[in-house]
Amino acid sequence: MRIVICGVGALGSTAAVLCRNLEATLVLVDFDRVESKNLLAQAYVKQSVGKNKAEALKAQLLNFHGVKAEAVGVRLGKDNVEAICGAAELIVDCFDNAASRAVLSEFARAKGKPLLHAAVSGDGTFGLVRWDERFVADAEAKEGQATCEGGEHLPLLGLLGATIARTIQDFVKGGVRRDSMVGLAAVTPT
Amino acid sequence: MAILNITYGGLSADYQLELDARIPDADLKRIAVEVLRAGNVPGLHLPHVAENAFDDFVIDRLQNGQRIYLRPKVPFG
Repeated sequence: MRIVICGVGALGSTAAVLCRNLEATLVLVDFDRVESKNLLAQAYVKQSVGKNKAEALKAQLLNFHGVKAEAVGVRLGKDNVEAICGAAELIVDCFDNAASRAVLSEFARAKGKPLLHAAVSGDGTFGLVRWDERFVADAEAKEGQATCEGGEHLPLLGLLGATIARTIQDFVKGGVRRDSMVGLAAVTPT
Repeated sequence: MAILNITYGGLSADYQLELDARIPDADLKRIAVEVLRAGNVPGLHLPHVAENAFDDFVIDRLQNGQRIYLRPKVPFG
């Protein structure tokens, strides 16, 4: 199966690493570069700083885990979504803006392709994993709202990344499409 | 009748709505503040939650409106 993960920031990079067990081709899409501030919330190592995120994650998967992936280091938009996602058997939206999410939704609905969305709140306390049939993208509460750059949100990002990976795994194995909400109480303290 | 699920501060809990599920969003947000303050949502007692705590929140109506989710916006990835 060809799985295209669109956006490999906090959620996409964490989920991709947890998808390394799948018998699938992972295609990583992101135009952005790794910055040192990303290291506490995203699955990048210090040696990747300065590199394109898709290329860096591809290299990390190969060098650390022996997993081959494909990298597409460009900004996805209406003009290239067909070229990037046309062969996808599953599209995973981990973008950080409503406009890009809308491009994926429009494409997936037109082509009948399965599309899984993942999204996290600005305060890092809550996230959603939801299939396109029931997903509506949220705009930022305030323009320029701070994102998950520090390490404060890492525990929730870990839970959310694992939920995305499990949802992908369930779909790959049996076509199951399960939605989830992820909060800080997903793990019960004892 | 519907179940209203409220997420606040990373915690979620259900509240049985004894009202028409087609109730407007603004009323749902007001009810959420009241029931949280009153301690009527098991596992989510917030006696001092602000009147405008849910102003920027989103309401999802799923399962033909029988499950209503009041949750923070999730714009990031």
